[in-house]
Amino acid sequence: MGGRSVTDDIRSLQDPITVAEVRAESEALFRSIGDGAIATDEFGHITRINPTALDILELTAEEALGQWFPRIIHILKSDGTALPLIERPIVRMFLSGQAISEKALYVTKNGHTVPVSITVSPIILDDRPVGAVQVFRDITIENEVDRMKSEFISLASHQLRTPLSTIQTYAHMMDEDYMGEMNDDQRRALHTILTATNTMNELIGMLLNIARIESGSIAVNSKRLNAANVIQDVIKQLSVNASSKNITLKFQPPRQSVWLKADVLILKEILLNLIGNAIKYTQLDGTVTISVAGRANYVRFTIKDTGIGIPQTAQEKIFGKFFRAQNVVRQETTGTGLGLYVVKGLVSTLHGRVWFKSEENKGTTFYVSLPKVYDSTDRNE
Amino acid sequence: MDRKPAFYEQVVRVTHVYLGPAADRFIVRQVHNHLHKEPDELSREDLSKLIDWIRVAVSFLTDDSELVEEYTDELERLARGETKV
Repeated sequence: MGGRSVTDDIRSLQDPITVAEVRAESEALFRSIGDGAIATDEFGHITRINPTALDILELTAEEALGQWFPRIIHILKSDGTALPLIERPIVRMFLSGQAISEKALYVTKNGHTVPVSITVSPIILDDRPVGAVQVFRDITIENEVDRMKSEFISLASHQLRTPLSTIQTYAHMMDEDYMGEMNDDQRRALHTILTATNTMNELIGMLLNIARIESGSIAVNSKRLNAANVIQDVIKQLSVNASSKNITLKFQPPRQSVWLKADVLILKEILLNLIGNAIKYTQLDGTVTISVAGRANYVRFTIKDTGIGIPQTAQEKIFGKFFRAQNVVRQETTGTGLGLYVVKGLVSTLHGRVWFKSEENKGTTFYVSLPKVYDSTDRNE
Repeated sequence: MDRKPAFYEQVVRVTHVYLGPAADRFIVRQVHNHLHKEPDELSREDLSKLIDWIRVAVSFLTDDSELVEEYTDELERLARGETKV
């Protein structure tokens, strides 16, 4: 029998491996990474760069090796605006000590911009940071697919809304007996049509929001707002829904006015979704309590209900797209599973944070924290 | 363990020479993220652990290796208690 035996393999494992062999192997490994990869030493000088990185950046190895990373790797924010040195992923990674993943634009040697998804991590040796490794890939095609998908959703949603509003108008007119009186069976059927068209309208609204969030095309017009006024507007809008279930909508106003700088339409959409959900998933005669508090740098909105709660097993997935918890599906058949996904996207657009505490059959409390003074250059840390 | 807030102030003062007005925020972030402590809890022992992180972070803000070494040498002296307030 030819070939290597187990004994040969064991022997080969015992062979002394030279430093040069290990180095060559790790070099080969680095070169064969399918994504762009750049390693630096502790002074930010490039020690390794693989062929994919050279290809994306239109550089030669001679041009890159030994160079100070920020001098040779030019980066912009995803929207094409300048990225200050201190905001570069590699710098932020060393400030935080954590690997960072994000999207940005690289500017090649010949001045082309390439959208990239970057992950940068520290190289740790004997518990000491001795450099960084940055792995990145060209996401031009992914971005194009995303753009087309969003365009399609947006177009389809608009096209769906037009005939839907015609159906709704005529259905309302029929309900008001403009087309003659209806018998009870006809009216029941008409109400089913109206409920279904409202659901469809809500779904289309959600899809439009998602298309805007995912394409990053939400226009943020920040203005100074009194948080209590925004909450009261939303409560007024939802009071019919609440009273139809005899739910008490309680607003606990803050002792002092709470002001923040945010987009009123986005903030209202966030609160409409969260308070609307609280009403939807609270049983008859329950209570939904809304409050707001101002802190030094942020404003916290709290929406507390006495509803059915979110099962423990569903809590991790609750902000996912099209996700609906089992207890909700059993109770309510009309939800889209998109509301909290939209909320998360909108809160993130305002550089805020959303989270919750919940116990099944006892209730849920959602918290939204938004920066007090928001502008497009601020980061919420 | 040295827990004087004054020690943090010394670190910021040294850092200010190299990073200017960004010094305070820079050191606060390092202390929070790497040591999970509040700035006024910073001790000499902590600073010794932080210096390597500070060196790499500053090395991506300036390509002047000598300046980086000078700054981290200052911090090391501070960590050894060789610099007066």
